[in-house]
Amino acid sequence: LGVLHPRTAITLVLQVLSDAGSLLSCCLNAACMALLDAGLPLTALFCGVTCALQPDGTILLDPTARQEQEARAILTFAIASSERKVLMANTKGSCSVEEMQQCLAAAQRAADTIFQFYRDSVRRRYSK
Amino acid sequence: MAAVSMRLPAVRAPLDSSALRGGEKHLVAPGDTITTDTGYMRGHGTYVEDDKLIASVAGVVERVNKLVCVRALKARYNGEIGDIVVGRITEVQQKRWKVETNSRLDSVLLLSSINLPGGELRRKSAEDELAMRDYLQEGDLISAEVQSIFSDGAVSLHTRSLKYGKLAQGVLVQVSPSLVKRQKTHFHDLPCGASVILGNNGFIWIYPTPEQKDDEAGGYTTNLEPVPLSDREVISRLRNCIMALVTHKMMLFDTSILYCYEASLPHQIKDILKPEVTEEIVLEARQRLLDLEG
Repeated sequence: LGVLHPRTAITLVLQVLSDAGSLLSCCLNAACMALLDAGLPLTALFCGVTCALQPDGTILLDPTARQEQEARAILTFAIASSERKVLMANTKGSCSVEEMQQCLAAAQRAADTIFQFYRDSVRRRYSK
Repeated sequence: MAAVSMRLPAVRAPLDSSALRGGEKHLVAPGDTITTDTGYMRGHGTYVEDDKLIASVAGVVERVNKLVCVRALKARYNGEIGDIVVGRITEVQQKRWKVETNSRLDSVLLLSSINLPGGELRRKSAEDELAMRDYLQEGDLISAEVQSIFSDGAVSLHTRSLKYGKLAQGVLVQVSPSLVKRQKTHFHDLPCGASVILGNNGFIWIYPTPEQKDDEAGGYTTNLEPVPLSDREVISRLRNCIMALVTHKMMLFDTSILYCYEASLPHQIKDILKPEVTEEIVLEARQRLLDLEG
């Protein structure tokens, strides 16, 4: 796919209008939809999911700003649509390896919902 | 003082498209497998991995015999040999011009691929190279045909026919290349009094129909006579009709533009761009097109 754009740099500019928590995964989702809308060739879709680990060990997906502050650790994963591969993992705070695996599993399940949302948006665009 | 009308944003009701849509569309997203059958050739918007044909853009799957391609709604123009394009000169280089055609790379117009003024056919000499700027300058609009495609995807153009060349007075409309229907000819003389060139790259040129069929200088003399008001009104109306069709993502070809123009005659030219008038015109045009087919 790289040969389609010789001597090219593709720049994405993301402007934050309001931040209600989960900023990084929100930016990732916006970036993916922008690339889809522009018609640029991609190998797969990708999405961002944020998990917050609360002090008592429960996992919270897509935390609000308040929940992020109270959490023990915040993990953000970028997941691709092809076999739910993990593209990026970002951690703030400390957690054990098992907890990270649990968060990853939960994030992968949530990614399916986001990909379905992408497809519905594209479908709505095409049937206007 | 003229009155100004303002509108506040509101939720738009979705157009009742289910009744008018013909056939199911196979929509895919990047990473979706289109087919695992290896008998297909891959076209634009796809790539092959592990013997599977996978989509690389979000769009509709189009299949022509053995060729499978995915067409995105809004994407840069991919050149095909034989396409008509309308482009703007961006650079004048040593033996060629660089033309902007809404594709990933600037298209190339070689000095050896143009017709000299006067229609003469001769080998281009060094004086011709120095006089390149007299023929085509930066900012000029030309209509040309795609001659070949370089290996990196850049398109090479030629104007080796009297119907191509520099464009004079008219209106340019830039739309997405996927909305221009592929037809036998892209130069149309509409009965309403204007002519239109539907470039495959999404650049549409509307201009007043020339009175006499010019077989003069091979398309380099620019006709700068003032255009009469009636012609200008026709051209503005056509331009607004094309914008209306584009907002409703309808394919652009001479019949659809003509039906939309006729449906818009009862309205004032500036009203065509209002959302409710646009919907009404496009619905009527769509209905007439369906009646034409069925």
